[in-house]
Amino acid sequence: MTSADLANRWDSLIEPGRVHGSLYTDPDIYAAELERIWYRTWVYVGHVSEVPEPNDYVLKSIGPQPVIMSRDKQGQIHLLLNRCSHRANLVCDAQKGNSSAFRCPYHGWTFSNTGKLLGYPFNSGYDGTALKSELGLGRVARVASYQGFVFGSFAQDGPTLEEHLGAATDAFDRLVRLSPTGEVELTAGWLKHKVKANWKMLVENETDGYHPQFVHASIFSVADSGIGELYGDKSVAVCRDLGNGHTENDLRPEFRRLDQPLGWFGTDPAKVPGYVDQLTAVHGDNTREILIDGSPHVMVFPNLFIAEIQLFVIQPLAVDETVQHVTAVQYKGSPDMNRRMLQQTIGSVGPAGFLLADDSEMYERNQRGVHARTPEWLTIKRGLHRERRDENDHVIGDATDEVPQRAIWKHYRSLMEGQ
Amino acid sequence: MAGERVPLGELSSEFASVQLTIDHDGNGPRLRIEDLRTGHVGFLDPLELETLAWLPEGALHKLLDPSLLRWRGDA
Ligand code: FES
Ligand SMILES: [Fe+2]
Repeated sequence: MTSADLANRWDSLIEPGRVHGSLYTDPDIYAAELERIWYRTWVYVGHVSEVPEPNDYVLKSIGPQPVIMSRDKQGQIHLLLNRCSHRANLVCDAQKGNSSAFRCPYHGWTFSNTGKLLGYPFNSGYDGTALKSELGLGRVARVASYQGFVFGSFAQDGPTLEEHLGAATDAFDRLVRLSPTGEVELTAGWLKHKVKANWKMLVENETDGYHPQFVHASIFSVADSGIGELYGDKSVAVCRDLGNGHTENDLRPEFRRLDQPLGWFGTDPAKVPGYVDQLTAVHGDNTREILIDGSPHVMVFPNLFIAEIQLFVIQPLAVDETVQHVTAVQYKGSPDMNRRMLQQTIGSVGPAGFLLADDSEMYERNQRGVHARTPEWLTIKRGLHRERRDENDHVIGDATDEVPQRAIWKHYRSLMEGQ
Repeated sequence: MAGERVPLGELSSEFASVQLTIDHDGNGPRLRIEDLRTGHVGFLDPLELETLAWLPEGALHKLLDPSLLRWRGDA
């Protein structure tokens, strides 16, 4: 196809107010997304707290690619591909461990945790020593981190991580500011939810403020939660296009109106005095405002959803199969708050939780529905007539508007049709 | 005391399993390392262990080459 053909093709699939159903079902489009998005742009991989000690490693992923995140003896973090350079066995199999070297179980080839081939059994079977320098483990070309969140990009060149995150850096800053030590830890363990749905169904849903009152009505009523109201027609909350495909449900206007410290967390300062004292020691008079504003609800394109007290990592495995990895945010050094965040996470997204189960059912129904022949399009026009710009020139809309979905598709298109 | 053995425990990763013991069979204590996958046993004395504590990054790389000792090419 010529580039004009390609441009025409995207014109015929993505319009400002609607997108074509085949974007969720076409295996060729999925294959192109892997190349143009997952194996090119910055993708969230892991957090520094998951490899706290020298020689720690954990198994991670970039889409379907198996990745080893290791910390070497000097403390530097590496993202290596989990594929033996001999005949492609998985070099590591344990979910995590501590080792300065990895020995492939198939024929014993041994690699340092920085990816160097250290040797192999019966070396006279190979001619010369060039093999060792040539056959290290594959590596993710670029590794960078922001506030402890480690991202990888398979592209040698391109925007820096901070350029890619752009205005979304503020979400990480706000998240870690709620920790008295200024650091979060992802040490609570991970749950994996597999769904038969295209990955973009999930990305679009994370900042969809239109569905909570319907899909999550049962959990909100059982838990006597006010969250539903935040996404109502009367809500002064806004949704926002942060640029580069990053999107936000900004609930702060509602929380400020309600003026309740920790109201966003469904509790009050008297219940977690230790935490409030710790935070006050750091932030003084600003503490009240920080506790009112709460934690961000931001979808960092393409795969990290910061959901107030939880993190979701989206991993596509096939055009119609996606895994969500979920963990509770933990503030380093705040046991009372951490226990509550863990409990709430288990309650909402754990094996018996309602919240993610309800969303997952919608994802799978969506994937089945989108196979129907007509209408061919999905409509994302909600709030198009009332879009406006905030003081930072970001497009915003009302709480239930589809500004985020339009923002995601706009960025998606720029990646898919770019050079 | 000759014959006294102080078990320290077992260390395992997906790559290796070793049993560690302080061994007093000699005139001074040694660390006894048993490779649980083969039963092979090695010893390290205090000076050797102290030296290991000072190892710079990569100092064991040569020794980690499987064909150096255990799976040698034609030696
Ligand atoms: S495939 Fe790893 S050593 Fe042969
Ligand atoms: Fe066999």
